[in-house]
Amino acid sequence: MKIQKKLLEIKNLKQYFNSGKPNEVKAIDDITFDIYKGETLGLVGESGCGKSTTGRTIIRLYDATDGEVLYDGVNVHGRKSKTELKSFNRKMQMIFQDPYASLNPRMKVMDIIAEGLDIHGLVKNAKERQERVYQLLETVGLNKEHANRYPHEFSGGQRQRLGIARALAVEPEFIIADEPISALDVSIQAQVVNLLKELQEEKGLTYLFIAHDLSMVKYISDRIGVMYFGKLVELAPAEDLYKYPMHPYTQSLLSAIPLPDPDYERNRVRKTYDPKSHNYKDGEDVTMREVRPGHFVYCSQAEFKVLQAQHANN
Amino acid sequence: MEKILEVKNLELSFHTFAGEVKAIRGVNFDLKKGETLAIVGESGSGKSVTTKAIMRLLPESSSEFKNGQILFNGKDLTKLTDKEMQKIRGKDISMIFQDPMTSLNPTMTIGKQIMEPILKHQNVAKSEAQKMAIDLLKLVGMPQPEQRMKQYPHQFSGGQRQRIVIAIALACNPKILIADEPTTALDVTIQAQILELMKDLQKKIDTSIIFITHDLGVVANVADRVAVMYSGKIVEIGTVDEIFYNPQHPYTWGLLSSMPSLDVQEEKLYAIPGTPPDLLNPPKGDAFALRSEYAMQIDMEETPPFFKVSDTHYAATWLLHPDAPEVTPPATIIERMKRFPNSRYYESANGGILK
Repeated sequence: MKIQKKLLEIKNLKQYFNSGKPNEVKAIDDITFDIYKGETLGLVGESGCGKSTTGRTIIRLYDATDGEVLYDGVNVHGRKSKTELKSFNRKMQMIFQDPYASLNPRMKVMDIIAEGLDIHGLVKNAKERQERVYQLLETVGLNKEHANRYPHEFSGGQRQRLGIARALAVEPEFIIADEPISALDVSIQAQVVNLLKELQEEKGLTYLFIAHDLSMVKYISDRIGVMYFGKLVELAPAEDLYKYPMHPYTQSLLSAIPLPDPDYERNRVRKTYDPKSHNYKDGEDVTMREVRPGHFVYCSQAEFKVLQAQHANN
Repeated sequence: MEKILEVKNLELSFHTFAGEVKAIRGVNFDLKKGETLAIVGESGSGKSVTTKAIMRLLPESSSEFKNGQILFNGKDLTKLTDKEMQKIRGKDISMIFQDPMTSLNPTMTIGKQIMEPILKHQNVAKSEAQKMAIDLLKLVGMPQPEQRMKQYPHQFSGGQRQRIVIAIALACNPKILIADEPTTALDVTIQAQILELMKDLQKKIDTSIIFITHDLGVVANVADRVAVMYSGKIVEIGTVDEIFYNPQHPYTWGLLSSMPSLDVQEEKLYAIPGTPPDLLNPPKGDAFALRSEYAMQIDMEETPPFFKVSDTHYAATWLLHPDAPEVTPPATIIERMKRFPNSRYYESANGGILK
């Protein structure tokens, strides 16, 4: 395995809403993981498990309750001057789930895409600004005639391309894609995923790809993290996770995906996950443990021994 | 098997400021008793419009039946008055919508909403209807149905709301249940539960289901037969095995190839190039030709008729014409065809290729 540089370190991140009140929600409950430079980390789980909150906390749309997010060794959270924040915002961008809600309907495409350019002063004059927007539109497979239109004139897939062009405008290193394809048709999903992959190869981007569609996640990700109720329960290389799912929740999630294969579907048996089945004792040290190289599972010491024995020969 | 619904040569247009949008351009299919027919296709292919036409849910001011019939029990649904249609809608034919968040009334208790079709279509007392509603909630697997009856939609999760919508749809034991992307808004685990519930209920009450979706995994799971729609037409129809293991239309090939598989590691995902045609000016010939690498000259000039592949399998592509050159389908499709006994790529158990 090649030596990889850590771009992002997320350490004991916690995000509680309504903290201290009776309706406290532990949206993210003490998760730790790294994102390496140039990789795609997929984050999956059912709605409400905290995957979107994780993405939003990393990019500082929320202030973390506790824990650290280190970007290139610098803590993202904590007191920051305006200039520091600005330089940081340029490195990290986000693509949102709903291409209908994330583009301002009253702005022209030209201004939507150039907003970041203006804020960061990346272009000197109007001519350069226009050139850059045309270039970005072409990068995402649209053309320059589109620059003078409004978002409502585009289809869902085209809008998501606009969202990608806007994110790319400031030449970021790291992009958080929060369910970028969930709202799109199957055939269009493939187009957008291919585009994201091409851009990654071309520009050496790093992605955090949040989704609940597990088959697409496997296709685009190098490593995948599975979240359940605010906790990361399993983190492994994509292939490995699908071949040797270890946490019972991951197993239940994988067994629930219908595949376009009638024979397989007739024989598929769905597993259900009951969090009580672990029978953790009070004070038992349940944490992420590495069962196979690079394959971490949230488990107790006893479960760890069992898993290790099971997977010793794989 | 007994045919319960026949759609014959249906054509339907919308009148818009920009002109006439030909949303459905000659659709034919029938639905047999107790079966599940899946209709697949991308947005704008006309799959939802077809079912809304069956339910007569399209606005009369802007939509128009140009041609064709929808026969149910010998009656042509396109000709019925609103009053007559109201007797069928919700009783003989009912519908489950895509978004359980918006298809329930937020100001009514769910008990009242389930009782509504019962009181409307069945001559029963209110207390009786209440009992039936509780039974329905039990049927769809809702815990503590008595207490839940008095609650409002916002007190339920997405999966539970979809169960309630299903309970309402089943309230009068419909002969046909139309499910328009019933699981698209749900998580995979909840989706699996709802699909299992629907299959289970179908066995119990012996209803026919028309299932609209663009998720081919779901199709493989629920369907007996599959109709593939593209730009207002059915381009291929057959049993679920025929469509998944012996597809004939290039559009079906494209759809099947653009799904990533869990077991194979592909380098690049196949994406159908371009976008669907504008139905204000539908293209001449095969509507998919402009996006297809298998298009021939004739595809640009003349609309292909249905060619018979088997008694149950038809596809509208000139590639099936006896004079057409033999083409090689995409690699992933050949892999699928190898498993189907009547296809030309079938590899029998001993490894030989039968032709």
